[in-house]
Parts: sequence; C-alpha cells; structure tokens
Amino acid sequence: MHISAAELLLDVKGLNAGYGKIVVLHGVDMVVRSGEVVALLGPNGAGKTTLLRAVSGLLPWNTGSVHFGGRSLQGAGPRETARMGLVHVVEGHRVFTQQSVTDNLLLAAYDLQRGERTARIEEALSYFPEIAAKRRDPGSALSGGQQQMLAVAQGLVRRPRLLMLDEPSAGLSPVLVDRVLTVVAKLRESGTAVLLVEQLIEKALAVADRVYALAQGHVVLNAITSETDLPRRLEQAYFGSHNAATAHG
Amino acid sequence: MLASILASGLAMGAVYALIGITYNTMFSASRVVSFTAGQLGMLGGVFGSLFVLRLGMPMIIGLLFTFACCAIIGVITEFVAVRPVLKSLDQHLYVLSTLALALMIQQVTAIEWSTEPQPFPRIFGIGSGGITDERFWLPIVACAATIIGLELLYRRTLIGHAFLAIAEDNFAARALGLPERNLRIASYALAGMIGALAGFSGGALLLAFVANGFLLNFYGFIPVALGGLGNNRGAIVGGFALGIFQQTANFLVGGIFSSVVVFVIFIILLLAAPQGLFGASATRRV
Amino acid sequence: MQGVAMAGTTAKGTNYASVAWSQFVPLVVVFVLAIVVPFVSNDYWVLIATRAAVYWVLVSGLNLMIGFAGQLAIGYVALLTLGAYTTSVLAAGNVMPPVNPFIALGIAGLGGSVFGVIVGLPALRLRTFYFAISTLGFATIVTQIALAWQSVTGGGIGLPGPEFPAPLNTHWGFYYFCLAIAAFCTWMTYNVSQSRFGRALIAVRDADVAAEATGISKPRLLIVVFLFCGAVAAVAGGLFASLQTYITPEAFTFDLSVLFFIAVLIGGRGSILGPLLGTVILTLLPEFAAPLAAWSTFLYAVLLLVIVLAAPGGIAALLDFKSRNPLQSNRAIVPRPALLDDVLDARTSGGTIALLNVMLSFGGVRAVDGVDLNIRPGEIHGLIGPNGSGKTTILNVISGFYRPEAGQVTFGGVPLDLGKPETRAARGIARTFQTPRIIGEASVLQNVMIGGTIRGRATFAETLLLLPRHRRDEAMLRKVALQALGSVGLESLADVRADRLQHSELRFIEIARALMSQPAFLLLDEPAAGLAADEILRLGQFIQEIVRRGVGVMLVEHHADLIFDICHHVTVLNLGRVLASGTPAEIRVHKEVVSAYLGG
Repeated sequence: MHISAAELLLDVKGLNAGYGKIVVLHGVDMVVRSGEVVALLGPNGAGKTTLLRAVSGLLPWNTGSVHFGGRSLQGAGPRETARMGLVHVVEGHRVFTQQSVTDNLLLAAYDLQRGERTARIEEALSYFPEIAAKRRDPGSALSGGQQQMLAVAQGLVRRPRLLMLDEPSAGLSPVLVDRVLTVVAKLRESGTAVLLVEQLIEKALAVADRVYALAQGHVVLNAITSETDLPRRLEQAYFGSHNAATAHG
Repeated sequence: MLASILASGLAMGAVYALIGITYNTMFSASRVVSFTAGQLGMLGGVFGSLFVLRLGMPMIIGLLFTFACCAIIGVITEFVAVRPVLKSLDQHLYVLSTLALALMIQQVTAIEWSTEPQPFPRIFGIGSGGITDERFWLPIVACAATIIGLELLYRRTLIGHAFLAIAEDNFAARALGLPERNLRIASYALAGMIGALAGFSGGALLLAFVANGFLLNFYGFIPVALGGLGNNRGAIVGGFALGIFQQTANFLVGGIFSSVVVFVIFIILLLAAPQGLFGASATRRV
Repeated sequence: MQGVAMAGTTAKGTNYASVAWSQFVPLVVVFVLAIVVPFVSNDYWVLIATRAAVYWVLVSGLNLMIGFAGQLAIGYVALLTLGAYTTSVLAAGNVMPPVNPFIALGIAGLGGSVFGVIVGLPALRLRTFYFAISTLGFATIVTQIALAWQSVTGGGIGLPGPEFPAPLNTHWGFYYFCLAIAAFCTWMTYNVSQSRFGRALIAVRDADVAAEATGISKPRLLIVVFLFCGAVAAVAGGLFASLQTYITPEAFTFDLSVLFFIAVLIGGRGSILGPLLGTVILTLLPEFAAPLAAWSTFLYAVLLLVIVLAAPGGIAALLDFKSRNPLQSNRAIVPRPALLDDVLDARTSGGTIALLNVMLSFGGVRAVDGVDLNIRPGEIHGLIGPNGSGKTTILNVISGFYRPEAGQVTFGGVPLDLGKPETRAARGIARTFQTPRIIGEASVLQNVMIGGTIRGRATFAETLLLLPRHRRDEAMLRKVALQALGSVGLESLADVRADRLQHSELRFIEIARALMSQPAFLLLDEPAAGLAADEILRLGQFIQEIVRRGVGVMLVEHHADLIFDICHHVTVLNLGRVLASGTPAEIRVHKEVVSAYLGG
C-alpha cells in the first residue's frame, strides 16, 4: 500500500501526558499529513481528548515531542498553535451563549488584523448558511447542532492548516451530524487537514483517509480506511482480545 | 428628613455598588474574590486627597493619577496574590493571599499617610451642604457613568467581548486562542480604576481615611453577596438597597446599632440564600 | 513494573510510641523552656511571656478551627472581647454582686462556647470568603456593643480587668497560672489532633466528599469544635483583661485578629507545634524589632503572603524532616488478601441493594431514565456504558450524593436515605471515587484510619481529656488500619505523607479506607483508571478476594478486560437506560451492546 509522500503536517512521537499524577497517554505516535482526514477512535477514557488537548497546548505534557509544520510545539499554548495554523475545536460545542453569533466569530478573529476580520467571518459562515441567517442571535438561541456548527465555524475563521474536531457529533441528530461531516469533506477538498475524534465509527470512516484507534492511552490501531478487516480490528481494539467464551469462576 | 435619608442613602449606596462592581470585575476574570477591592476604594480617597490637596494638582490630573495608581495596584494584585494561587487546587489560598496583600496596603497607608481621616477636596464647588450638595450626587453620577461605560465596553468593543468570554467560559476562551492572561491583567487594572472611582467620588462622604479599607470590604461585599458573584446588576440594586437601609437604620436607632442591624439582616439573608438572591446555584461537588 | 515486593516487611516508624513521641516531645520542650523564663530574665519579659501564653490559649482553639477544620475565622478577636468583658464585668460587680474571678472566668468560658457556635454557624452554609467576611462583621459588632453599652461596659472609658487572689496577682504567679492553662489547652488540642476527631476535621477540610462518604457529619463535628474554640477564646479573654489590668474597646483591634489568624497559618495547618511557635514568634516580633514596632502588622501580612506563596505548609512543614527522606522508587503494589479476614471481621451483612425505576435529570437532560438494578452480596456487579450513559450517576445515587426524582433505592428491603451520603457508612455501604480523594498533607495511615471514623465510640470530651475509651478507640483504629493497609500491600508506606505517593497507590489506599467501615457493599468508581496492566490484574484478584468474604461489589468501569474477567453479572447502560443485563459472556456477544459502543 503506497502512502503518498505529502508533507508531514503534524508529527507526534512518544507523547506522555496526563492530569496531575494520572498518566493518560503512554508513548503515543501519530502523524497527520497535509490535506488528509484522520479519524481518531477509541473507547471512553482512552485518551483521545487528552491527546488533542496536549497537541493544541491546552494541557501541558511531560515527555515526547510534537511538531507542527516542522516546528516544535513544546511549551506552546492554544494561542500560539492557532497562530501557526493548528486549530482545536473542543468537545461539547462550547460557544459563548451570552453573545451573538457574529461576536462569537469576532472573538475567534481576535488575533487577526482588524481589516481582515469581516472577510474571514463571512468565509467561515459560508460553510454554514443555517447560522449565517442567525448572525445577530445570541448563542443561547441556537440549538445544540447549530452551536456545534458555530464552534466549527469559529475554528474555520483562522483558516487552519489542520483542524482538530473533538466529537462534533455528540448530542446531535443524524441530519446535523451529516451536515458537519459534509463540511469536513469540503475542507479536505480545499486542502485543509482534519483530525477527527468521533464516537460514530461508520460515519467517521466514511469521511476519513486514515484511522487511529486509542485504548488506555496506547495506539492500538493505525490503518487506512479502505482496509477490509477494519471492523473486526476495531471491535478488538474496543473490547480487548477477551474471548467471549471465557467462563467466570 | 426623608429627602436627607434618600440623598445620603443613595450616595453611600452608589459607593457600595461601585465596590461591588470592583469585586465582580476581579471575580469575572479569575474566579477569585479579592480582599483588595475595599482597599482600592480606600486608596481612591487617599490618593485623591494626596494628589489634589497635598500636592496641589488640578482636579482632573489628580483623578487621572489616582486611576493610574489604583490600576497598578490592581495589576499587582493579579501578579502577587492571584496568578500564583490559581493553579493550586486549594480553594482558600486566594482568600489568604489577597487578605495579606490588603493588610499590607492598609498598613503602609496607615503609617505613611495617616491613621486619622483626612479632608477630601471639593471637586466642583456646587451645592452648599444641602441635599443637592455635590457629595451626594457625585457618587451617583460616577456609578451611572461606570455602568454606562461598562455597557459600552462589553457590548461594543472586542476586548469587552473578550472579557465576557473569559467570564462565561474560561476554558473555551483559552481554547479559542484568546490571550487569557493579558485579559485577566487588564480586568484587574480596570477593577482598580473602578475602585478608585468609588473612593474618589465618595471622598467627601467617606473622607480620606485608612479605616475605609476594611469598612468598604465588608459593606461593598454585601451587594455582591446578595446579588450573586459576578452579577453587576445585582450589585447595583443591592448597593442602593443597602445604602438606603443603612441610613434609615442610622436615623432610627443611631449609628452604632445600625451597623449591628445591617449585619444581622445580612447574615440572615445570606444564610437563607447562600448564592445570593439572584445568584446562580452552586456547582456539583461529585 | 518489577520492583522489590514489600510483602512481609514491617514499616519503619509504625511504632506507635515513636511517632507520638516525635510530635509530643517538642511541645514539652517548649513548656519546659517557658517555665525557666522568669528565672533568666526580668519582669518585662515575664509580661511578654504571659501575653504569649494568653494568646496561645486562644490560638490553640482557633488552630482547630482554622488549621484543622479549614474555616477561615479572621474576626476571632470578637471572642476575646466577649470573654474579657464578661469576666471583667462579673468580677467588678457592675450588674450584680462581684463574682469570684475564677468563677467569672468559667462563666465567660460558657458564654464563649455559645457565642463560638453563633459565630461559627455560618460556616456550615457559606463558602470560604463569605464566612471570613461574616466573622469580620462579628468582630465589629462586638466592639460596637462594648462601646455602646455604657452602663455595663463603661463604654469608651472601659473598666478594670479582674484581679486574681494571691499569689496569682504577682507577675510570676499570674505567669505560671496562664502557662498552666496554656499547657492544659496544648495537651487537650494535641489529644484531638491524634484522634478520629482531628482526622475527621482534616478530612472535612481537604476531602469533604470523601469525608461524607465515610460517615462524617460536618455539622455535628464543627459545632463541637466551635463550642471548644469559643470557650478557650473567652477564657483567654478573661486572662487578657487581667493582664491588661484595664480594658477599653480600643484594646481589641483588628490587628489582634490578624495576629491570631496568621499565627495559625504560618505555623502550618494540621499541627499543634507549628501554631504554638507561630504565636510565640508573632508575640515576640515587635519586641525584637523595636524600631519597626509600628510595622508589626505589616510584617505579619508579609509573612502570611510568603507562607502562602512559598511554603504553604508553614513552620510545621519546614520542621518535618521525615518527609524529606527519599522513598524507594520502583515500588510494586502486592496485596495480601489473607489480612482481609481480620479487617472484615465483624461485618454487617444485609440483603441486596435494589434500584427500582430510578429517574434523575440534570438541567433538561435525563441522566437516568427508569433504571432497575440489583446488586447482590458476594457478587461482583459490573456497570458499563458509553460516556453519558449514567453509570457514575447511578453510583452517586446509591451512595447518596444525588437525590433521584423518582424511584426507590433500598438495601435489604429498607429504603436508603436519599440525598444523605453521610448515612451510608453506617448502613454498610462504602465507595471509592473516580479521582482519588485523599488528604495529601496527612499520612497514609491517617488517611486509612479516617475510613473507620464511625466505629469510634468516645465523645469529644473524652478525647480532650485522653480518657480510656478514647485510647481504646485509637488503638483499635490503628490496628485495623494497619491490617487494611497490609491487605493492599502498602503497610510499608504507612507514615509517608499521602501526596508523595503514586496515583496507583492512592487508588489502593482508597480501597483500604473503604474497607475500614466493614462494609456489606463496596462501590468502586473506575478503580482501574490510570493503573498499569499488572496492577489491574492484582486489583481484579483483590476484588475477587473481597467478594469471597461475602461483600458485594459494584464496579463502574471502562476497562472491558477487567469487567469481563471478574464480574459475575454485568449491566450495560446507554443514554440513562438499561440496555442489557446478564453474565459477561452474554453481554460480550450482545449485538446492541457492541453497536452502542461502536456508534451508528
């Protein structure tokens, strides 16, 4: 299977990270290339969110290395990584409910030049006409799905090279999930790389080029989505290699 | 009589409300309730008297210098007493660090300035001591100006939006790439200036008196406790209510017992509604 | 993770006598030095020493409130004022015939108890800062009343303090009188610090959720402490009035409150020696830094800031040389389940824990939507499900932290008190937490002993006076705690500060703590999170051993391996409802379960 020699955009090697004394990630290796969509799957507590937070700088990490576009992200926080083109949309569609849609997007454009802001906001809204129509409404007037779209739009304001989405489908109806994943596909076409953490495996695989699975802080699967025995390997990754027939003493 | 109670009650209430807003501004930026709020109010009066009366500066310059000095003290609070303890899981550390800083401010003022109340300059020279005297309407005007100013700041400027974002969801703001630390420092500087305004506009009523520090800490906190932490509208309503209640009690039972009455009512109200009358409910513990 | 197994070795320093001595001896030394003071100095210093002793009487009680219970009472001078005026007024005969000064002191103590409860009561409802401010208010009020109530207190003019009969009316006599009271208070508070009350206070301060789960009732505990603190503070007030010989409201400044408060904090929380040294230092400071006397409060504040930022543990932490000894690295956790027989000895057995149609919403979201569940004794019941399925919510309902909107929760047919977690321990239900809730500043052994708090029988008064029932309690709790620690294989770390331990060790310590109350049911909240593979294996074996002794276990987990390995029964939740329930083998191949996890 020949893997294209596209530029290594995100290069994570031997990453250990956790919260206080609890080590969640154990020596994680992962790469994302320009313009590809990578799905990150795994059971709860596996460390997927932790991994995204460590990469974007929300969570300090201990050992290992993270490089983006060739530059080390050691010690960088979310502001710096966003400036470099690595944008993280956190889980839970956390938008600012007390402020309007436009203001939410303006905040995402905080670090941009004043003149550019309006143009970028329009650009981001063009992916989501549903919320463009509600640009003056406060965040609280949006449904959960619309808030998720707003959160992704906030990420797009920065014209990221790599967009990391943490469970964008959580709590959304299937129709809205498809809307968000359509946007992911469009991004891929325009050359933006996407790292997608998802619970809905089939939908994630449908839009992704490659897939990693994380379990208990280790990478247990690293494959291309077109491989045929993927479902079986995924089930094994989630439920362990425990044999269903083992009797209980 | 009624007019006099109303005038002094609203005036003092405005000062208390402004201190409440000082508390809220620091809280919104950092989730810390800081003992330096009352000290900033006290310094507003002390610096005003120092710059204008003792050093002879023109009123406007004195006011600007007072703002600057209190803004700096606000920033010092963030550096020394807030940032270092934010990372700790220990809830009570910020109470101690801000208390220590407040005490230091108070002691330096008492020793270098004076332990006795010092006169505060008349600003406009309008009114002649009656209920239309400037010492009554100055704090009220200052309070109104602050409210309007904050509204404009929060609604119309990007940095104001950023303040609101940090207050609403600190984590999401950080994830979005907002410069959380700088915004917090700016908030503390702003809080410093609001406290300064409280003390400066109320200078004629409270005089430049070092004991105002902890007095304002207490009375300025009541509007916050009643209105809910971070809720400026609640602080304003609470402040005016407290001011009028206190002056009425002063009139009815005399100065000393009025503070007892105020305190007892405060404790009862707080025990009945620990999150404030308009406050949000407590977060889940488990 | 290979390492030297510590099975079979006894820990260094778990010798009861040696640990107790190392904390008690310095206190004795301080008082021996104090006795010598008058012989090596002049009357002036005797007065200063008397002042320090009087302050310490108050601070010894305040130490329990601030240092142990964590309630920041910064206006405690109110109690000093109350005690001073009560004693003086009674001894002077302003309102009634003059009372013997000793009796006046006693009455002041009683009054102080009551007022101490009044001042402290808001702590049960208010958050830290709010409570601190409320104590400030009390201080102001008491002073105002002293000023205003002229007929009794003499108003601004004041009144003379009580005079004690000879030989206590000489400098030396009065000094030794105060020193004796100070020594007595030291002894009493030391006894509390080495008791289940002291540990319970620290638990309420640092791990209040875990404290509730082990059956500690915060209100009852705090009220008893407030009674004591108020009493000694008022007695200190009476002594203070006598020392001053004449009191006015101006003697009771906010600066004094600051001194008391800071003495506790620079001394270090959870210590008796630290605040004692702190009080002495702060009293002496203005004397040695004479030109800076006016700056003394400023210096106190600087000290406080430095302590908070640089050395939060205070003097006590600086003197704690033991905790600088390096720990052995590569420690392995090797449980010794045989000890479980001793630990779970006289356990209550009960019936099944049954949930019937339990419902609970947060905001608008149904977290638990009509769940039926039965946990039987002697069984390991696994509870699994994707994120947001409600499994931890169920555990919190059973353990009493959440109150369901509908449905029944019974144990052995008898309903459990909903929303009252502190009643669970007595009913025989214990639990652990998703993130270990351990008191970092206390030793491992103390942390485990907290689990057995409700098994103690002695009252607070018996503890203060070191009466036999208290000593029996302590010996019993210590013995069982060492056995519990031994059963999880960590007895060699008994005297180590808990915050020095690794995450996995803390998890096992939580289990040891839970076993202390001899539960009929053990609720484990994701105990395998953060454990290495071999540790998870040992955890599984240990849980099986627990269950073999008849305890029922509910295991909320993500680790599929652990669940399928050891559970007798598995319930799968999804979106707040039971999706499937059966043996691990049945669940493993259940189509809906697989697809719920894999989405779609």
